[in-house]
Amino acid sequence: MDGFEAIIGVNPWTALFTLLNMIITFLILGKFLFKPVKKMIDDRQKEIDDAYAEADKAKSDAQELKAEYQRHLDSAKSERDDIIKEAVVTAGKRSDEIVAEARRDADAIRDKAERDIAQEKKKAMNEVKSSIAGISLEIAEKVCEKEIDEGKHRALIEDFVNKMGEAS
Amino acid sequence: MINGPKIYFTIPILGGIPITATAVSSFLVTVILCVAGVLLGRNLKKRPGRMQVLTEKGVGMLYDLVESTMGKHNSYWTPYIGALFLSSILGTLIGMTGFLRSTTSDLSTTLTWAIMTSFLCWGCTIKNAGIGAFLKNYINPMNIISDIAQPVSMAFRHFGNIMGGGVLTSLLYMALSSVSAIVIGLIRSNGLVVSIIVFAIGVALLAFGFLKKKLAAKIFGALIALLGLASTLEVLGTVTGIPVLALGIPGVLSIYFDLFSGFVQALVFSLLTMVYVGMACPPPEGE
Repeated sequence: MDGFEAIIGVNPWTALFTLLNMIITFLILGKFLFKPVKKMIDDRQKEIDDAYAEADKAKSDAQELKAEYQRHLDSAKSERDDIIKEAVVTAGKRSDEIVAEARRDADAIRDKAERDIAQEKKKAMNEVKSSIAGISLEIAEKVCEKEIDEGKHRALIEDFVNKMGEAS
Repeated sequence: MINGPKIYFTIPILGGIPITATAVSSFLVTVILCVAGVLLGRNLKKRPGRMQVLTEKGVGMLYDLVESTMGKHNSYWTPYIGALFLSSILGTLIGMTGFLRSTTSDLSTTLTWAIMTSFLCWGCTIKNAGIGAFLKNYINPMNIISDIAQPVSMAFRHFGNIMGGGVLTSLLYMALSSVSAIVIGLIRSNGLVVSIIVFAIGVALLAFGFLKKKLAAKIFGALIALLGLASTLEVLGTVTGIPVLALGIPGVLSIYFDLFSGFVQALVFSLLTMVYVGMACPPPEGE
């Protein structure tokens, strides 16, 4: 209770205390409040930025993957189309081959059959010729009741039969 | 308040160290700020609680203020500016407790802070531009005057605003006390009956105010009722000298002079410090 200071005056001791208090406040607040809180804010900001960057990256990756799959799908489609086209072409060629082969076989079979038929016909014709010649001679013998010069008449009849065969 | 800071006691060493009201408040402000700072800066989590959100908001605002005024490269000044700003605000507000004195209404405090700012400026200039440039600045002697005027103006601005507010509040308080003494004297000179009637009128007005929800009627009713009550008591001789009109009204002024002016002056002081120190710390080359 020593009275009062001057209303407008500087007390050096108070000034010194103020200086010390200010320095203490500055050091303690800086060390325990401002720096940790600022660090926390910055860390969180960084984390958020990282998360966003990661999300963006994941998105672009996904889009890339999608495009790649689309590309794969497209190439698979075109491949499929190629395969089908090729298969169609191959099948067509094969079928043509088969048909041609079948036709060849059929032609061969028909030729053979025709040859056989011609041969048979010839054989039959020869048989018929000789038998008709024999029968004719016998008939003629019976009709004439006389010996016919076999050598002479046989040539005559065969000639006739041949002409008949040619005409038929 | 119209006196200077009270000297509580003197430590009898070094020719007597006087412990003034300002010194006590200053220590208290330091302790409060340090304890609050350590408590708020503790247990910081990535997912913050309510208190941490507020803390981060406040600290972030201070960083934004410093970075926008001084530039991004001066972000490391924030702890000092923040300590200055918070000390100033709390130092002013601590005067509102009634029994402690605002640290900022003492020139010792504000002048110390202003001189700290000046020394920081000089230090930064020497560090950034070299001692030659610092000394070359004083070839023009006007710069000496400006370097002296700068801390003095800062100190007196802050001190004057807070001190002036306190003086005004005190004057108003005294004026209202004398007015209420005159009014009460007027009422009591008319005897006990008039005092009681005044009290009754006041109570009636107060009741009317409550019924109709009228703020003005409530305030005036309470005032008149208190005046009547005080006169009655004085007539009866129980108590004397109640400054009825000084109740509450100076508080409205205090909201302006202590809260608003305290905040503004703290901001102004911090901003000036930032500007002066920021000018001494220009952005590094190539930015």
